[in-house]
Amino acid sequence: MSLPDRIDPRPPRRIYRWDLDKTYLQTDFESLRDLFRTAFQKAHEKVAVPGASALIRELAEQGDSRLCIVSGSPKQMRAVLEEKLKLDGVQWDEFVLKDNVSNLLRGRFRALRGQVGYKLPVILESRIHAPVEAEEVLFGDDAEADAFIYSLYADLIAGRVDERVLAQVLEAGGVYPDDAARVHEAWKKIPIADPVRRIFIHLDRLTPPAHFTAYGPRVVPIFNYFQAALVLLADGHLTAPQVLKIAVEMVQTAGHNIITLSNSFQDLLRRGLPLQQAAIALSQAMEGPNALLKAMRPVPDILAAFSKRLAALGTQPPPPRVQAVDYVSLISHALPRTHKGRSTKPQT
Amino acid sequence: MVGKPQHITIAFDVMGSDHGPAEVVRGAAQLSLESPHIHALLVGDRPVIDEALAGIKHNGERISVHHAGDYVGMDEKPGEALARKPESSVAVAARLVAEGEAHALVSAGNTGAGVLACKRHFQLIPGVRRAALATVYPTRGVRGAKQDPFSLILDVGATVEATAEDLVAFAVMGSAYARIISRNERPKVALLSNGVEPQKGPPRVVEAHQRLSQMAGLNFTGNVEGIDIPRGTVDVIVTDGFVGNVCLKMLEGVHDTVMELAQYAYKESLRWRAGLAMLSSGIERLKDITDWEQYGGAPILGFDRIFIKAHGRSKARAIANAGKVAAKAVANELGTAIQEGLAK
Repeated sequence: MSLPDRIDPRPPRRIYRWDLDKTYLQTDFESLRDLFRTAFQKAHEKVAVPGASALIRELAEQGDSRLCIVSGSPKQMRAVLEEKLKLDGVQWDEFVLKDNVSNLLRGRFRALRGQVGYKLPVILESRIHAPVEAEEVLFGDDAEADAFIYSLYADLIAGRVDERVLAQVLEAGGVYPDDAARVHEAWKKIPIADPVRRIFIHLDRLTPPAHFTAYGPRVVPIFNYFQAALVLLADGHLTAPQVLKIAVEMVQTAGHNIITLSNSFQDLLRRGLPLQQAAIALSQAMEGPNALLKAMRPVPDILAAFSKRLAALGTQPPPPRVQAVDYVSLISHALPRTHKGRSTKPQT
Repeated sequence: MVGKPQHITIAFDVMGSDHGPAEVVRGAAQLSLESPHIHALLVGDRPVIDEALAGIKHNGERISVHHAGDYVGMDEKPGEALARKPESSVAVAARLVAEGEAHALVSAGNTGAGVLACKRHFQLIPGVRRAALATVYPTRGVRGAKQDPFSLILDVGATVEATAEDLVAFAVMGSAYARIISRNERPKVALLSNGVEPQKGPPRVVEAHQRLSQMAGLNFTGNVEGIDIPRGTVDVIVTDGFVGNVCLKMLEGVHDTVMELAQYAYKESLRWRAGLAMLSSGIERLKDITDWEQYGGAPILGFDRIFIKAHGRSKARAIANAGKVAAKAVANELGTAIQEGLAK
């Protein structure tokens, strides 16, 4: 774990946990060739997912949050990854990378690709030091087991998962005994609270959203970070002008346009996310002291397109059902992908 | 007339296809993964579309939904159905295209209702009195940069009768479509008649022949006979809707009969069965070459907006291809090409 990059005396009100590869960075490691290319890329050659750095910067604007990054990239990549984050203007508080050399030397081959035994103890240990009331929002992707691990983490600290289920999951997930012990130890030190508000899963592989239905409405699969920004506006983590700034950056730097943004907005509405108030807040953001936003192309057009997409839906779909997550039956989601690829059969 | 847009939105009439809405949604989803510049506007019952979409791989940035609670069934009378169901998916989709929310319409539903919805919401291109339904069919020859084995025939049933003026317009529209979609720079265009001589055929065909012969920019080769249709001697065959529809049904009937004969042969004789088995890879290759699904659908030509009528039995691949054909027609400004052709 690296030392904090900044020293903030105030306890954090919010914690944002991010994965790096395929969540923050556009990374290809489908083939050995991709893997080598990624390993030898320089910081300026690495490309962030559109809107990711803008979103992190806007979330940090409030000044009362912590950014904790946990990545499966090897520790040897720390320097280049840190340089990339600095180039993007991203300041972090925790930055954990995987010690795969140690795993290799100790013959822990399951741990090389396993995610549960790596990420779960790390984020639980990080939570020990957080104030009980600190809310959390987590960001991951559909390439690995992020939806599973983050949900399990949220339900563990909320006291919704018992020790028997945890033991079953860790065993089925192929977690080594010492990592399992770390999980149990850290978990016992954390006071029961329910701080995880959202888990965003970036659909890098375009996994069908229904694949994540079993995790309940807390998990929000997203096609882009504008969608995350809209949900975070509705959740009170961002203001409307901040969301518009993210949208404008995505239009100006990443080839997004009115259609992709308004389609993204409607996609969330169709999945039952209550964004009507967020849409009103965006319209109002152009009034008063923020009237300057009107001149920021293409903000007025984006908002007009939103109204059309909203009207096109007819009646608003019901919000997604809250349900208990059955981690034992979902453990296959947490196992490393085989070459045959993971099934994307939707859960019912 | 629609200008050349950077991003193309295709409105899909999701309801009314033989395979149900899920197949059309799958086709649009496939399109969203394959063609970054094409956006799909799915028009139909929103809960049904949402359920289908949530379970399949798609790109949510390139798909939007417009709710339409009604639809016209395959067996319904188009005029009556549209009057009774003004909010049917095909009517709403055509209206959205006319209002500029999408650039083209794709429907696998009731053909008559699709044509009628377009008549109500679209404008005819100046110089065109009647729209024409065109269709492609496999031939012996290949044509254009794509080595396309398909020829185009129009009209195959949008209107029963056609004047000489209509036939001229059909020739120009068919030529423009073949040039843009098959990438055939100078498609050979002919009139269907009962003889190759210019004076053969009913008066309207003779008059159309005279006028087409004088048109600059059109590669008019004269008349062809019925026998030339499957031979593929020309790239575009022009006729009226009545004759065109009879020809189309006959081609389909011949195809079905040949398939039935092959099945009969397979059952009746061991020698024939062995022969067919030996030919199986060739037959499969032939099937690939003449696979109508790769072509997507039949265009309705003559309106200021594009309408591609996909086959009622279209599966996802054919629907996605219909979307691509529609986008190609929009990107290459088919309407403008037809208008320019008519002005010459």
